[in-house]
Amino acid sequence: MKLLFEQFIEASNENEDKMAIYCDGESKSYKEMRTFVCKYANYLSSRGVKRGDIIGIPLNNSIESVGLIMAVTALGAGLAPVNPTLNSKDLDIAFKAANVKHIIARKSFYKEVLKEDNNILLDYPGLKLCLDGKIEDIEIKETSKLKIDSFDKVLEMTDELPSLDKITGEETFILTLTSGSTGDPKPIILSQNNKNIRAKAHIEMYELTKNDKILAATPLYHSLAQRLVIMPLILGATAVILPRFTPKLWLDLVRKLEVTFSIAVSAQLAQVLKELKEAEEKTCPSLRLLVSSSALLDLEVKKELVNFLQCDFHEMYGTSECSTVTDINLKEAGQKLNSVGRPLKGVDIRILSDENEELPLGEIGEIAVKTPLICEGYLNKEDVFKKATINGYFKTGDLGKLDVDGYLTFSGRKKEIIITGGVNVYPKDIEDKVIKLEEVLEVAAFPYKDERLGEIVALAVVTEAAEKEITKKIRLFCAKNLADFQQPHKIFILDSLPKNTMGKLVKSKLNDWVKDKE
Amino acid sequence: MEKVREFILDRLQKEYSFKEGTDIEKINYVEEGYMDSLGLIQFIGELEDEFDIEFSDEEMMEDSFRVVGSLIDLVTKKVGE
Repeated sequence: MKLLFEQFIEASNENEDKMAIYCDGESKSYKEMRTFVCKYANYLSSRGVKRGDIIGIPLNNSIESVGLIMAVTALGAGLAPVNPTLNSKDLDIAFKAANVKHIIARKSFYKEVLKEDNNILLDYPGLKLCLDGKIEDIEIKETSKLKIDSFDKVLEMTDELPSLDKITGEETFILTLTSGSTGDPKPIILSQNNKNIRAKAHIEMYELTKNDKILAATPLYHSLAQRLVIMPLILGATAVILPRFTPKLWLDLVRKLEVTFSIAVSAQLAQVLKELKEAEEKTCPSLRLLVSSSALLDLEVKKELVNFLQCDFHEMYGTSECSTVTDINLKEAGQKLNSVGRPLKGVDIRILSDENEELPLGEIGEIAVKTPLICEGYLNKEDVFKKATINGYFKTGDLGKLDVDGYLTFSGRKKEIIITGGVNVYPKDIEDKVIKLEEVLEVAAFPYKDERLGEIVALAVVTEAAEKEITKKIRLFCAKNLADFQQPHKIFILDSLPKNTMGKLVKSKLNDWVKDKE
Repeated sequence: MEKVREFILDRLQKEYSFKEGTDIEKINYVEEGYMDSLGLIQFIGELEDEFDIEFSDEEMMEDSFRVVGSLIDLVTKKVGE
């Protein structure tokens, strides 16, 4: 199998003058992108970044971020990308869980982190690179040993092709941090080969070619957007990146750049439909195929969307560990409209009981998956990954059933998770923080249905404090101590939480429990 | 005023820098996607906490709350009260 970097260089050499990438009004041809990526790789190498090193990066959607993703493949180094809105303490926890050595970030990151503690970054012995602005604007105390390098130095580097002699493809390429903060992060290891075969599987499944213009409109610190930029860059197609999502910006970009293919999260598409209904222009003629991921879209939304867009429409189901597991084409699905589809080529699904025994067709149980696209495991948590794998089948924590034709229906989640706008939120991360407020006696974070985002974070709080004051206090506390996607949209103050006879919290009853309070 | 301005501009550009040459004061940071509804809840909390102020529901509903320049003016006014 050719390495990702080799494929990118081949695509660059064959398509020198073609647009490789577009983001926020700027673009680079393949020739320019090759130069950019090589300068990045040579700079990182000159500053001591070696094969096997992990770089922590609060990653935004930009050409620089994509350049960096491709550059580390030439070095055999890895990235631990995180949400830039995480606060510095949570970033520290995430980076330490990912064995981060070097840090690459924007000025705003350094300013915020150093505001609190000048020495917090000294635990990371490697390079500290600032991607934007003047580093003179970042205040570093004279006593600190911290040194930050400017991005200008990258641009001064040679653009020679780096040597790939030592690169095998087995190197850790991306560490996906599933649990962002106070929870116990489980960094998912994705090797270059993982990402390579995942990209290939999707290129084959969706029949992508170098003539496609592929849109990434989700954050690049998620696996989905990484795939959506790697695929075009190894194919010789064009990667189109949406820096910030609003439905209007999405539609404008699809039309302006004549995007042909994208995978979006379902919450985005529900918003796109709303925008289309109100807009004068109802179509996107260039779109050939649109795929919805993350959660099943409402049938009416799907039908209306396809009616406007007049393109092929697929839905997929998958997890960070397994990548895409099933796919369904709306046109071909017929009577299977509530299904998430059939397994991809080479993928096998079993439905397991609580005792890990295979259940008969039609019965609901835990979805377990055997797939060539499986990740390498969890970093420093081999036992947890091993425990989740039964005879080569990874237990997803999702519930579902299979029918006689092999179609999977998703029935819910066994694991505790809230998916808001396509982003996974772990209730424990929020609960562990909020319980620190002395007025809070008990707290439970749970998913609350929302038309726009699918689910939003709700909090049920037991307290003796006055409702108005404590609600405000919790809001302020969360604003300071949690990332944007973890913020509770609704806070319910209750006398008690629903519990079973053993006194254990029954989260599934929370939505009914708070009904009187709505 | 300068502290309010710096805090708001830094916060809004945590993920993405405003493009050079744009009139920052006039940017509707929600429509332009610099802040989504999840971020907005957090942003309001951070502003109230940092400057020890409180926004009324009416203030938060105003379109001008989502425009950089008028938000800076509003917070500056509240800090001075």
